[in-house]
Amino acid sequence: MKFLLYVLGRIHYALWVLAGVVVVTFFIRPPGDPARVLLGQHADSVSVAAMREQLGLDRPLYEQLFLYGKNIVTDGDLGRSIVTRRPVTEIISERLPATVLLASASMAIAILGGIALGLVATIRPNSWIDTASMSTSLLGISLPSFVVGLLFILVFGVTLEWFPNSGYIDRGWQYLTLPLITLAIRPMSIIARVTRSSMLDVLGQDYVRTARAKGLSMPTVYVRHALRNALNPVVTTISAWFAGLLAGTYFIEFVFNWPGIGYASFTAITQLDYPVIQGTVLLTAVIFVVTNVVADIIYSILDPRIRLR
Amino acid sequence: MTKAPSQPTSLQHGESLGALTWRRLRKNRGATIGLAVLVLMILLALSAPLITPFDPATQILEYTVKPAGFRGNVLLKKNPSIPDRPTIVAVSNFRQIGDSIHYTDPAGEAYVIPVSSLFGTSANDWHKEPLFVLGTDAFGRDMFTRLIYGMRVSLSVGLIAESIALVIGIILGSLAGYFRGWVDDGVMWLVNVVAAFPTILLIIAFSVILGKGYWQTFVAIGVSSWVDIARIVRGQFFSIREQEYIEATRALGYGNVRTILRHMLPNAMGPIVVISTAGFATAIIAEASLSFIGLGVQPPTASWGQMIKDGYGYLAVGTNWGMTVFPCLVMAIAVFALNLFGDGLRDALDPRTTQR
Repeated sequence: MKFLLYVLGRIHYALWVLAGVVVVTFFIRPPGDPARVLLGQHADSVSVAAMREQLGLDRPLYEQLFLYGKNIVTDGDLGRSIVTRRPVTEIISERLPATVLLASASMAIAILGGIALGLVATIRPNSWIDTASMSTSLLGISLPSFVVGLLFILVFGVTLEWFPNSGYIDRGWQYLTLPLITLAIRPMSIIARVTRSSMLDVLGQDYVRTARAKGLSMPTVYVRHALRNALNPVVTTISAWFAGLLAGTYFIEFVFNWPGIGYASFTAITQLDYPVIQGTVLLTAVIFVVTNVVADIIYSILDPRIRLR
Repeated sequence: MTKAPSQPTSLQHGESLGALTWRRLRKNRGATIGLAVLVLMILLALSAPLITPFDPATQILEYTVKPAGFRGNVLLKKNPSIPDRPTIVAVSNFRQIGDSIHYTDPAGEAYVIPVSSLFGTSANDWHKEPLFVLGTDAFGRDMFTRLIYGMRVSLSVGLIAESIALVIGIILGSLAGYFRGWVDDGVMWLVNVVAAFPTILLIIAFSVILGKGYWQTFVAIGVSSWVDIARIVRGQFFSIREQEYIEATRALGYGNVRTILRHMLPNAMGPIVVISTAGFATAIIAEASLSFIGLGVQPPTASWGQMIKDGYGYLAVGTNWGMTVFPCLVMAIAVFALNLFGDGLRDALDPRTTQR
């Protein structure tokens, strides 16, 4: 019963947050009159007025907001692109597979690589391995993803010609390599740092010493005793990063010509096609909120103390 | 009047938080290097016109996309509209015959002009062989000069955007942490709504709303980056509020504003400082990212993101990689230095750190 109440409470709160999210996305529109931007400077005032009516811009703002929210809730309708006139949901669902493929593959690499890097660093804290792995990860955090992408294009694409610079996976797996690694570097660095500090906390605890004292081998102690207990903050980081990863694809997809949501949004930004920008931003935020609720619920199952608070 | 009892020695020898932090920070090699690099960058940005003879916006169209270390050969012509800024003419060779100058431009065309149309009085005034240390960009502008001037943009973005974020974050965080109840609920709802958007997307969204430009970029980054600050201030206030000295301020009848500003905020400063350095670095990255996708600071203002964007078009062709790599490198160094410094600061301010 208590668990059910907790879950309902989380969902209820998430709905309030989502309402706020919809309001924020509604206001993502360029300054000035979109109708005039769309028709050009030389359009006559009659056709501008007609376009304003067609876009629903002639109504008062609160009415537009209400309509925007109502369409999303009742029909899942995100409006139409003002450039191509296609429904935004259609554009998104067409581009979503490419982005999901890129993001989930990167996340898998980031999780495996990050935990490994963090573990290696804790084997001998403050040794050169630790310093090297932590400096690498600090570098990974310091470099924006599009910069990493450009450097990869220069080194592996243009100079060494190992991998193609741009294009989609339908032309072969090697098209995935560079965008995949580029996108993975930042979350991998962060996961490595979180794993390291969490492991160091756990390794200092009594039960780890006990496990060592009763003669267990170091690898067993590491994986079975320490890592299992150190993973909690790591999982938090991972769930918090998933939406961030989707945001990262905006730049990566642009740099590598990867035909996903990020690329569509990028095109929309240059054309000030605000319904598409609103749609993709909203989608990212909704994914973030939903992931968080799910993560909260999973935690409360794993650790009953949370829902009793 | 009786003499006041002498203070206990522990207080006399007490060290301020600032002094303690500074002492610990100096022992941290990474933090020291980071700080040194930052100071150097600030000095470079401030003294940009003294360091480089070029103007960041001056285009020498004959010298486009030249590699690092390129040495030019130019004549300076008088400019009737701006007397102290001569027109630059690139030449492949020139000869002075009497009162006229015969020169061929890099395309091989021959010209004859009178010496009197040239800048200054002697050959040293009107003939230069400038060195383009890091080469030139697609418009024949000196890369090194633009990097230094771009440093001004990046550092001011970091400073101003982070200040905006600090003001919003501290105000909302203090209100939530001090008053709790429905104020806290309201602020946390706002925090959760804003946090639902990845920061860079929110910055892009605000840039779309506000339009392109210098100040718009600062504001867009600032109003998108306060969430972590608000959360940290709120958390700090939650624990500080339980301390006895806060109860004492209430007993003394101090107002809420006085208690918050004079007694609670100073004690929450450590974590705020640490998160600010991280925010500073994020703001620099955000500005470069915005400029890279065409939002953000607009040309001809030199900005690192803008430069990377200009170079990107040439990267795939394989010509002059310096146009992309140098701005990337400078930005990476700046952000790396900030992060090193921030890490050191966090360790130095952390009361649990055992090393003294």
